[in-house]
Amino acid sequence: MNLLETTTTALLTLAIYSFLAGDNPFYKFAEHLLVGLTIGYTLVITLKSVIWPQAIIPMGRGEMPGLVPLILGCLILLRLVPRWAGWSRISLALVVGGGAGVAIPAMLKARVLDQMAATANGVTSWAGWIILIGVLATLTYFVFTRAHRGAWGTSARIGRYFMMVFFGATFAYTVMSRVALLIGRLEFLMGDWLGILRS
Amino acid sequence: MGTSRRWIFAVVGVVAVAAMIFRPGFPLSVSQETRHVFDLIDSLDSNSVVMISFDHEASSLPEVGPLGTAIVDHCFRKGIRIVGLALFSEGTAAGYELINRRASAAGKTYGTEWIYLGFRPQYTSAILGMGEDLGEVFSRDYEGHSLAESPLGSRIHNYRDIALVISVADGSMPTYWVEYAQARYNVKIAAALTAVMVTSYIPYLESHQLTGIVAGLRGAAEYEQLLSAPGAGSRGMDAQSAIHALIAVLIVAGNIQAWRKRRSQTGRGTNQ
Repeated sequence: MNLLETTTTALLTLAIYSFLAGDNPFYKFAEHLLVGLTIGYTLVITLKSVIWPQAIIPMGRGEMPGLVPLILGCLILLRLVPRWAGWSRISLALVVGGGAGVAIPAMLKARVLDQMAATANGVTSWAGWIILIGVLATLTYFVFTRAHRGAWGTSARIGRYFMMVFFGATFAYTVMSRVALLIGRLEFLMGDWLGILRS
Repeated sequence: MGTSRRWIFAVVGVVAVAAMIFRPGFPLSVSQETRHVFDLIDSLDSNSVVMISFDHEASSLPEVGPLGTAIVDHCFRKGIRIVGLALFSEGTAAGYELINRRASAAGKTYGTEWIYLGFRPQYTSAILGMGEDLGEVFSRDYEGHSLAESPLGSRIHNYRDIALVISVADGSMPTYWVEYAQARYNVKIAAALTAVMVTSYIPYLESHQLTGIVAGLRGAAEYEQLLSAPGAGSRGMDAQSAIHALIAVLIVAGNIQAWRKRRSQTGRGTNQ
């Protein structure tokens, strides 16, 4: 990046971080710029990588299969015109129907059946037993048709402790992630922009 | 916004800047998960092909950038071919820039040692489509060359020609790689993740649906250590450790303050 690009990036970073001192026009400007650029970038990438090479260029050669998804895509845009908005339902029906048909068996296998098999097969070690107890106890916590009393209540309480450990670990990883983003920006500001960091 | 919160931001900023300038050099051990991904790539033949999918937003680059860089460097060092792509539009240019930069540094040639396919929307159909015929999903690469005429592009027809898929992700995309590529085509999937996603993917690692996970700036630093090539991950670890210690102290201090406040309120209630 040259000096102009680096300085622009640095000033926009500072504008975003100025929110820590309170809402202000610099933050608002940078935020709106980010939203606009993201939408514009996505639009250009989609046009350049998908619509132009997959639909427009083949149609120029007389190959028409790309016309079908192009028309279906245009139908979705008709939602913007209240009088013709109903036409968008054809495309949406295809997306929802096809999407659900593909996703449901795949999700059921990967997220439920394979996970259940791994939980059941993992009891050859202490860690496997802990996982199995955690899964069963957490499941009892989410059974709301039976009062959480007696042995059932104890199991539900153990399940709650397992969930609290999960929330704690997730929070710690979230902190780690956000700190990494701060470090990335500071490294840019102090290294690339101000040049005060050793490489 | 409360004054005390602003003080916390200021102290975190000062600690981060001080750690980055003075670099105390806190020790770093390599986790089993990172070593596993390293060994997995290290065990691949030099001529094999690894697919790296940049499934992240631009805002996650400070975290996933060093991870992607370390993995790409490792692949190039081993002579492994890289096929790059993006299933998130924002990852498209970032992924291309990253591989291009590292390929230039390693002296690798576009078309024979690496290619970049670009972006495809609708990840479900893209992942499933590549399992049948990659040329149907990407007839041309990101630079506009025909895949059939490219030496590397003509070698890969579907996942059978790919030794490993690595999803560099900040969201749920590795789940879809597992659901549609691993479960259906039995291709090995590894994930290079932002730290915030780790707890969501550990179950997939335990069930062997994911072959490996390397995560966060720490994962990047560990990977760089295994490569003996310190980079952005290693540079950030001193600041990361210092801020974590500070946050731990602040959490303990906050809890002690809350406990004392509650105790004094209870005492006042009893006295009345």
